[in-house]
Amino acid sequence: MSKTQSDFEFSPSAETVPDWMLELDQVGIVRRMLMARKWYGGDWWFVVFSALLLLFVIIVGFFPQWFAPHDPRAEVGPSLLAPGEPPSSYVLVTTVDSGVTSLRQIADSSNYIGYQVATPSSQALRDALDELNATAEEGVRYQPRPKRFETLEEGLDALQAGEVDGFVASPQELEGVMENYPALEVASGLREAAESGFVLGTNQIGQDILSRIIWGTRIALIVGLSSALFALVIGVPLGLISAYVGGSLDRVLTLIMDSLYAFPGLILAISIAAVLGAGITNIIIAIAVLYIPTYFRIVRGQVLSVKEELYIEAAQSLGAKSRTILWRYIFPNVIPSVVIIFSVNVADAILTEAGLSFLGFGLPPDTPDWGIDLARGQDYVRRAWWLITFPGLMVTMVTLAFSMLGESLSEILNPRLSEL
Amino acid sequence: MSASFRNFLITRLLLTIPMVLILITFVFFIMRILPGDPIRSQLGPRVSAEQADRIAERLGLNRPLYVQYFDFLWKTVTLDFGTALTQGERPIIQELGEKLPATIELTVPAMTFTAVVGIGLGAYAATRRKKPIDFGIRLFSIIVYSIPIFFMGLIFQIIFSVRLNLLPLAGRMDPLLLINFNSITNFYILDAILTRNWAALVSALRHLILPATTLGLALAGVFIRLTRVNMIEMLHADFITAGRARGIPEGRLAYRHALRNTFIPILTLIGLQLAILMAGAVLTETTFSWPGIGRYLVTRIQLRDYTAVQSTIAVFAVFVAGISLAMDVLYAFIDPRIRY
Amino acid sequence: MADQNEVLVQVRNLCVNYQTRLGPVSAVDYVSFDIYRGEILGLVGESGCGKSTFGKALMRMISPPGEIVNGHIIFEGEDIMTFDDDRLRDFRGRQVSMIFQDPMTSLNPVQRIDQHLIEAIQVHEPQTKIEQAMDRIRVLIERLGIQQRRLTDYPHHLSGGMRQRVMVGLGLVLKAHLIIADEATTSLDVIVEANLVDQLREIRDEFGVTILMITHNIALVAEVADRVAVMYAGRVAEVGSVEKVFHDPLHPYTRGLMKSVPSILLDDEEELYKMPGEPPNLTHPPKGCRFHPRCPSVMPICDHVEPTLEEVAPGRLVHCWLYQDHPEKDTETIKVLS
Repeated sequence: MSKTQSDFEFSPSAETVPDWMLELDQVGIVRRMLMARKWYGGDWWFVVFSALLLLFVIIVGFFPQWFAPHDPRAEVGPSLLAPGEPPSSYVLVTTVDSGVTSLRQIADSSNYIGYQVATPSSQALRDALDELNATAEEGVRYQPRPKRFETLEEGLDALQAGEVDGFVASPQELEGVMENYPALEVASGLREAAESGFVLGTNQIGQDILSRIIWGTRIALIVGLSSALFALVIGVPLGLISAYVGGSLDRVLTLIMDSLYAFPGLILAISIAAVLGAGITNIIIAIAVLYIPTYFRIVRGQVLSVKEELYIEAAQSLGAKSRTILWRYIFPNVIPSVVIIFSVNVADAILTEAGLSFLGFGLPPDTPDWGIDLARGQDYVRRAWWLITFPGLMVTMVTLAFSMLGESLSEILNPRLSEL
Repeated sequence: MSASFRNFLITRLLLTIPMVLILITFVFFIMRILPGDPIRSQLGPRVSAEQADRIAERLGLNRPLYVQYFDFLWKTVTLDFGTALTQGERPIIQELGEKLPATIELTVPAMTFTAVVGIGLGAYAATRRKKPIDFGIRLFSIIVYSIPIFFMGLIFQIIFSVRLNLLPLAGRMDPLLLINFNSITNFYILDAILTRNWAALVSALRHLILPATTLGLALAGVFIRLTRVNMIEMLHADFITAGRARGIPEGRLAYRHALRNTFIPILTLIGLQLAILMAGAVLTETTFSWPGIGRYLVTRIQLRDYTAVQSTIAVFAVFVAGISLAMDVLYAFIDPRIRY
Repeated sequence: MADQNEVLVQVRNLCVNYQTRLGPVSAVDYVSFDIYRGEILGLVGESGCGKSTFGKALMRMISPPGEIVNGHIIFEGEDIMTFDDDRLRDFRGRQVSMIFQDPMTSLNPVQRIDQHLIEAIQVHEPQTKIEQAMDRIRVLIERLGIQQRRLTDYPHHLSGGMRQRVMVGLGLVLKAHLIIADEATTSLDVIVEANLVDQLREIRDEFGVTILMITHNIALVAEVADRVAVMYAGRVAEVGSVEKVFHDPLHPYTRGLMKSVPSILLDDEEELYKMPGEPPNLTHPPKGCRFHPRCPSVMPICDHVEPTLEEVAPGRLVHCWLYQDHPEKDTETIKVLS
């Protein structure tokens, strides 16, 4: 039997791994993506769905002006308009024998004009007066005295009794009711009905909710991504260095990070935000500080376990510099976890920011932010459910997209959990 | 108690002290950098200079910083929290004594709900991995996690209180019943039982349902995920395969063997969730007007009452550290590998 | 002693595949042979040859992505491929049991040793009372050389050897007829290994238990087994009694194996024998005989027609064209005498 040289030695008791088995792991990225659906099953759908959702969110967030029909801070309509409801027309009702045919006639300060509270009628009156005043001559000012009534009937009764000189109502409301008030008639129109309403309605100031939530996307994304990035940029290197260097530096850093980590994040964020004041940069810093410990801990844990691996020892014995080892061996192992944490982090940052704004510690009051809208809508829960529902759904949707991405990525990237 | 367990206990205890110290120090310095003059923002800008100085002196605000710091530490240790800046200068410790039980009464049922639902669903999903029900449960957990707590609370309020009129909107008890309610411990449920005030008991329970469920559900998302991941790993463990080779049925393997082993890492996770629980409590209390320390803290910060804020956060820090210590001890106690 | 004539397990045309990213891997390919009652059979081969998979398949412990795609395993007259879940659970532990490679992780860390054993009994014989079970357990433990007080210990209190003996005990407590030892001694040091192996032999002698020893340690097999089966690339290359196979290996692969074992008699001059070539690619296995790319005695027929596992002499089976007739062959078929 010839003793031929071969590139592979066989020994009956050695643990040798044949080349083709190694191949199983080195499947190319293109093949991976193409075969991913078969390999990863349902998780693949999760990733695709969340990636698409995220893409949509990012586009809307970066270019809100393309999508939002109105300026989010402008009062573009009557307040508390329900979704899709077109603002109704409003008319001026007066007594028959008053002979009034336009608002101008009774719009001086000696007259009273009534309206029903908590309806858009007051705004209709205001708008009409603004219009009058805009076209008025010098020195002339139209400012009748307003009188509020709880119900339509009370107002009409008062008008009939002469307590007020005019009453604002909408034709729909008046339908059928006017028969009971033979002494009253519709004097003139105050405002035309609009053709269409606002898709998601308006809030109590009259701002378009759809525009606000679209612009809110931009804020949410800016805060979420920036704070996550900030935390990553600080937390990951700290974790790497701390774990690799070890010793007292490691102990001290770990103690600090553990204390921060164990502390309720929101409260910490509130404190920092309260100190630094309102403003978007401060919020970003406050939230970023919350997540630095997470990156630190995970990265440190990974580095510690990789550090013990034999190939690190081998590299060291070959004289590789610490810097090189960190960068070329340890860092690549850490990347998958960091990616996953990042996406979960963004999700959480958005939630935290919403929470901060909800409590009043976040951004300046009129910023089109979901948390702020939710806080403002809290009092209108009974009457106008749309004030909180849509901002809330947006927060949920965007957080969902990031969480889903992180969750399914971790299912795919984690070798222990995968079937193969 | 064995020697090594005792050592473990002592070391762990010693470790807690620096943790709490760091947090309290952090809070102290943050509060000092607070912009805005606490005195003027309380009493209005029309306070004269002498008045402001007198108050500052009384509060000790014009002493050197390090003196204030050690004074603060000492006061915290002796539980001398001083008085709140407003509201007739009520002693803070009394306020906290009232509010803390409220928070505990909210968070304990919430946590129980979370544990039962989270661990149950998570374990079940792990046993049916990659099947539709697994994805369903995972989707459920992600959705629940993504909904902001306060939004969930508001939605629950809309559905159950406004539309269906089944449950009360906010607060701890019907204000009419509260008048005659004799509260000894400030744990309303306990007090109602002790004073045999059944109407109050029913009211307290009814008021508890929505906030506790909101808080519990919000956290359950995280729990489902964590349990599932740990269970899946455990189900692939060697001893499970060995058990299967002995003919032990799958159900028993999953719930008596795998799940029991999973409890150990989950217990530590419960400890970590505490922080999130507290944060969630703050939001839930605000949404449901629940008079607990979370809401108290928020209002105090808004008012720049930093004596109260300092003390409250100090209490928080000690509370959190204490519970996490207890968790670690429990963990060591349960896992026989660490015991001896 | 071994009853050479009574067959315990008949394996016929067993095929096990694994689904991988590169396609199906044929881990066990049309394996057929018998295991006799009361014998110690060694199953040897290099890493990846399919011996562990075969062992697991005998208990139908193949889980996805692996799958038994073909074949019959007839255990004491019953084909276990037809078993439903309940019957399978009863089968496992009671008729056949397995000892695994790593004893530390094979025991539940939060369960005491006696609880392990009691559970095994109660799962299979639910009507057994605890005291009866404990009696059986105590007797068994003593026989295995484990002290009684160890019963209330947790697995991490025991040494590796003791844990492995507990595993043996778990196999015996239900009086299983076949014990499969899957690399059971690999993680033990030599002395402990020797003790365990001695114990296995005693158990066979006393209880008549059949032992299938799956290992890559040929020396161990030479020492303790009655028969040996050699596997290569998912197929059985050769089966026979230990003396015959070790003394006079028939299959070229077996010959190479024997030659490459370092011997204390090696001269300083002589090099270690290296078998040429590489282990086979199981996603695209060689056509015909899977060993042919490395075979020093390769013939033209070997690369496109597969031989069968033939009994060329009483008790000796070989999977090689050297010992079989075929019209395409132009060389002489070697006749085996005994």
